[in-house]
Amino acid sequence: MIDVRDLALDAPDGRLLLEGLDLAMPRGGHVLVSGPSGCGKTRLLRVLAGTERPARGQVRIGGREVWPGGGVLALDGHVRLGFAFASGGLLSNLSLRDNVALPLRFLGLPTQDQERRTGEALERLDLVAVAGLRPHAVSASARKHANLARVLALEPELILLDDPLEGLDAADRGLAQELIRAWAMDASRTLVVTAEEDQGFAFLDAERLQMAPISLSQEPP
Amino acid sequence: MAFLARLGAPVRGFLEFLGDQAHLVLRTLRHALLLRMGQLGVVGGQTKLQIRFTGLDALWLVSGTALLLGAVTLIQAFSQLSGLGAENYIGVLMVLIILRELGPLLTAVLVIGRSSTAIAAELGAMQLNGEVDALAVHGVNPYQYLLLPRWLGVLISVFVLVVFFDTLALAGGLLVAKLKYGVTFGFYLESVRQSLSNRDFLATLLKVVLFAGAITFHACHFGLRIQRSQTEIPQAVTKTVVSALVAVFALDGFIAALFYF
Repeated sequence: MIDVRDLALDAPDGRLLLEGLDLAMPRGGHVLVSGPSGCGKTRLLRVLAGTERPARGQVRIGGREVWPGGGVLALDGHVRLGFAFASGGLLSNLSLRDNVALPLRFLGLPTQDQERRTGEALERLDLVAVAGLRPHAVSASARKHANLARVLALEPELILLDDPLEGLDAADRGLAQELIRAWAMDASRTLVVTAEEDQGFAFLDAERLQMAPISLSQEPP
Repeated sequence: MAFLARLGAPVRGFLEFLGDQAHLVLRTLRHALLLRMGQLGVVGGQTKLQIRFTGLDALWLVSGTALLLGAVTLIQAFSQLSGLGAENYIGVLMVLIILRELGPLLTAVLVIGRSSTAIAAELGAMQLNGEVDALAVHGVNPYQYLLLPRWLGVLISVFVLVVFFDTLALAGGLLVAKLKYGVTFGFYLESVRQSLSNRDFLATLLKVVLFAGAITFHACHFGLRIQRSQTEIPQAVTKTVVSALVAVFALDGFIAALFYF
């Protein structure tokens, strides 16, 4: 599902965050990327999602070339992606319900299916009571859950989760963990999760990829 | 060499900008052709929102401006023409000034002030909040969901607003002509009608299409280039206004030369 060759990522100031990464993940594979804040975990996820160009290297998703190439649009619907952002990522002019439903509408699913899948996802993430509110009107946990609900409703083949447990209280964390565990047990879904520490992911039988902190001794070019 | 280098940088920047604009337009057109039936409802809904904001919400502003402009133009023109005994030419002047030039041009300026600024700021904020990336990742093509509805919405709105502006400006002129100078309704309309030609309609239509494209794609270009911080948003808005105004005036000159030179 994921085939990464000789990947290099650079920080906005030009310093290299990652160099020469090779990663091959079959369908149903899982990887947990951990490392301190600022080491490039989110950037790696964005590169895999095709929304950010790497400094160097090749990324193929489901056999289609994402980099070098046209990024996420090169997938052209052939591989369904789900990305739960650590923060942001929800359309601020739509309610949480519409945020979850929009990708389904764009897929052209029948209205009944859209409503059923949206409703189930909102219910599973305990968002029914706030589903009519816009992202700015709900808590950070609810926004995080809405990101997960959008992924859940879309039923993607490749799931990218950016620090999905960060900032959640015990109850909310439990809901998210339960969902991630279910995804991990589903052999049809490939899962890439990032986290500062892998404590909350003991349940996840995944390959571990530890990213190093950015070297302060390295001068920006 | 240093002089050439100094000259080269802005020229290269301008050419790159034109290339980016062409790229944006072509990709939007390409993705518009790839729209599926099931997606038309979503794109249509977004287009309606854009028409409401750019067209309907601007009607009062455009009406007031058009009425005043029509009245003032007629007062100025009539006072000159009557001195020369050439009152019959009032229609020619109204068509020349209002329909050919100021109608489309001032409508475009008002739309730039109201809508292109809003589009640039909105897209910039969406870019910063990761919303554009989120759309693309989840299969909602940004060209189809963000750019195409804005383009269509601005195009339809500019067309309607230009027709509205021209009609109300002529009405403002008629009001003054009748109340102050005793010109009859029939005489005024006949004078305007005789001065109009198919060329004027074609030129206005071309202006509407090109102005709407320039307004939308300048706003989208500068809005979507925002990458790092909130402080880029006002800068993008300013660049959008300046750049879109220059483009609209340049296109106006080009069309005038093409049709009337």
